[in-house]
Amino acid sequence: MITAEQKPMNEIRDMIAPYKRILTVGCASCVAECAAGGEKETGALASALRMACKMAGDEKIIHEKTLDRQCVKDFVIQLEDVIKDYDAILSLGCGAGVQAVAEMYNEVPVIPALNTEFLGETRDQGLWVENCLGCGDCMLYFFGGVCPLARCSKQLLNGPCGGSQDGRCEVDPDVPCAWQNIIDRLSSFNALDRLEKIYPPKDWSKKRGAGPRKIIREDQKR
Amino acid sequence: MTNNLERTLAIFYCRNMPESGEEVRQSLEKKYGKSIRLFPMPCSGRIDIVHLLRALEEFADAVYVITCPEGACRYLEGNKRIGKRVERAKSIIEGIGLEKERLNLITPVAVNDKFSLASYAEEIMKGAIKYTPSPVFKKTAHGAGKTKRKGSKAP
Repeated sequence: MITAEQKPMNEIRDMIAPYKRILTVGCASCVAECAAGGEKETGALASALRMACKMAGDEKIIHEKTLDRQCVKDFVIQLEDVIKDYDAILSLGCGAGVQAVAEMYNEVPVIPALNTEFLGETRDQGLWVENCLGCGDCMLYFFGGVCPLARCSKQLLNGPCGGSQDGRCEVDPDVPCAWQNIIDRLSSFNALDRLEKIYPPKDWSKKRGAGPRKIIREDQKR
Repeated sequence: MTNNLERTLAIFYCRNMPESGEEVRQSLEKKYGKSIRLFPMPCSGRIDIVHLLRALEEFADAVYVITCPEGACRYLEGNKRIGKRVERAKSIIEGIGLEKERLNLITPVAVNDKFSLASYAEEIMKGAIKYTPSPVFKKTAHGAGKTKRKGSKAP
């Protein structure tokens, strides 16, 4: 899941300042799961902005709408009938959502209300943790389902550093040592031998080596 | 009762608190008129930040949430969750320049304490004088006149 957090209110207010009619657009997918840009958060942000405008004597029209997914044009098209009524879109989608809307409605400014953070997991209520870098060459099989690139503070591929203490990371003792987890996991299903191999430095060319990445699937095309 | 203060307070309350039935709500609304807006909820944990903000945006000078007593939530932790949401909502309104004291949470301490919706409402309404009119309803485009509250009569 893609995680995000709302930008500071002042930053949002500065960005919407030039516009009078604003549509606040939420996304009911990833950013709803991480309580940053779903229907409730969109309603709360729109409400707070309307109050701020009223207190400042600024007559803005701020409406709200939440799409099921902001990064899929089949859903973004639901804005088609209403977008002409607004000067700007304030998007509570992730960076992909903001850009999908912007690409579809070239003539309308699309303002991001969130800072997109990372690919992560909902570890507990109110707790999201980063556990995937989207490297394009998944090595989780070798490391027992624990990614040392995303979860080891030093991104070590060949065993723990000397600072792992009692299963905690020396960089931040609140963080579990990824290598302790890797060894515990591989031990639990007798696969420690996967660590006998030396892993060369990560080949990052599969991540951004050739510019923005894309996936093409002929069987999924129209 | 006439609304001398011209303040409107919103009270969200857990329907599971003692003596909070429909007849109590109606008698309170009759007593305090437009000064009070009562919202019975199946559990205070059902109240979200957006509900608190909408009340402040549309009609309320201040908002109160009354939960059931500590340890008495029939859904186990609804009255704990609302506490965190009220704090978050306070930080949001502070961020736009509205006083955080306009949002309040009341959690009765023990199950055996004597309390009722009517007694809390009375206490809250007595304290309504401490609120200045909400700046949300004060200004219009040119800083003069009043923004109309939802539910108020047209001038």
